[in-house]
Amino acid sequence: MSWLLVRVDDRLIHGQVVVAWGARLRPARIWVADDGVAASEWERDLLQSAAPDAEVRVATLAETAAAWEGEAAAAGGAFLLVRDLPTALALHDAGARFRLLNLGGLHYAPGKDKVNEYVYLDARDRDSARALLARGVVLEVQDVPAARPVSLASLDPACAAT
Amino acid sequence: MSRVPALVAMHADLAAALIRAAARVYGPVDDVEVLSNEGLSRDALERAIAERVSGWREGGLVFTDFWGGSCNLCAASVARGRGEVVVLSGLNLPTFLDYLHNRDQLRVDELADRLLQKGRESIRLQRAAS
Repeated sequence: MSWLLVRVDDRLIHGQVVVAWGARLRPARIWVADDGVAASEWERDLLQSAAPDAEVRVATLAETAAAWEGEAAAAGGAFLLVRDLPTALALHDAGARFRLLNLGGLHYAPGKDKVNEYVYLDARDRDSARALLARGVVLEVQDVPAARPVSLASLDPACAAT
Repeated sequence: MSRVPALVAMHADLAAALIRAAARVYGPVDDVEVLSNEGLSRDALERAIAERVSGWREGGLVFTDFWGGSCNLCAASVARGRGEVVVLSGLNLPTFLDYLHNRDQLRVDELADRLLQKGRESIRLQRAAS
């Protein structure tokens, strides 16, 4: 198997990931690549308890990038979650060469503009999106598997690669 | 004994609907806060929960819809370090009604244990007789 889903979601592990995507793709492992969460034993334990049907691995970006190729060749599929687009870009540049990135949840915060009901972006997000597109990564907006995936550039032309 | 306060934090409109349904059976429901996770990031949802429980002097119950969901994860984060705040996931109508009937008689920890048991007992199978 291989990486089944690489997703940007500021909630990291939550219902859509565990119930909707989990039931559809049945990952053996869910990786959460997040330096902040990886530094907190309590946060790691919390996320590891949240997906009873998969093994949850909380790792730093460097650890995740180092494990990228090995996981791609491992038995059973895997999910990868990051909290925002700059983190996704940093992870890609560190060696996690994903080709498709699912944008599943970037909720409102001050300074962010609405793209759709569950994606809000600011200038830094758009810079990261353009950089990922320039690296050949396909950016798809889709919250749950039953929804139709839509390219980010079609929803938000400012994200289109220049 | 003082009343055990509660917050119901769930997906979409489920918490508000649950309170409305409970009111049809129990009567007016007061002293219960309602929160939807709609449109909220993890950080924003955690802040919203923290704001609502910050005034609980002797603790209380945070009810969520399911284990592993954002409401439950954020409630667990907020409850960390607040030993008197207890999170109960998988709330259904019979369990919530039992909370309403017992919130003035029991302490938080006693009520939480009771509701866990009541919730489990409330899910039953009824098969047609052959």
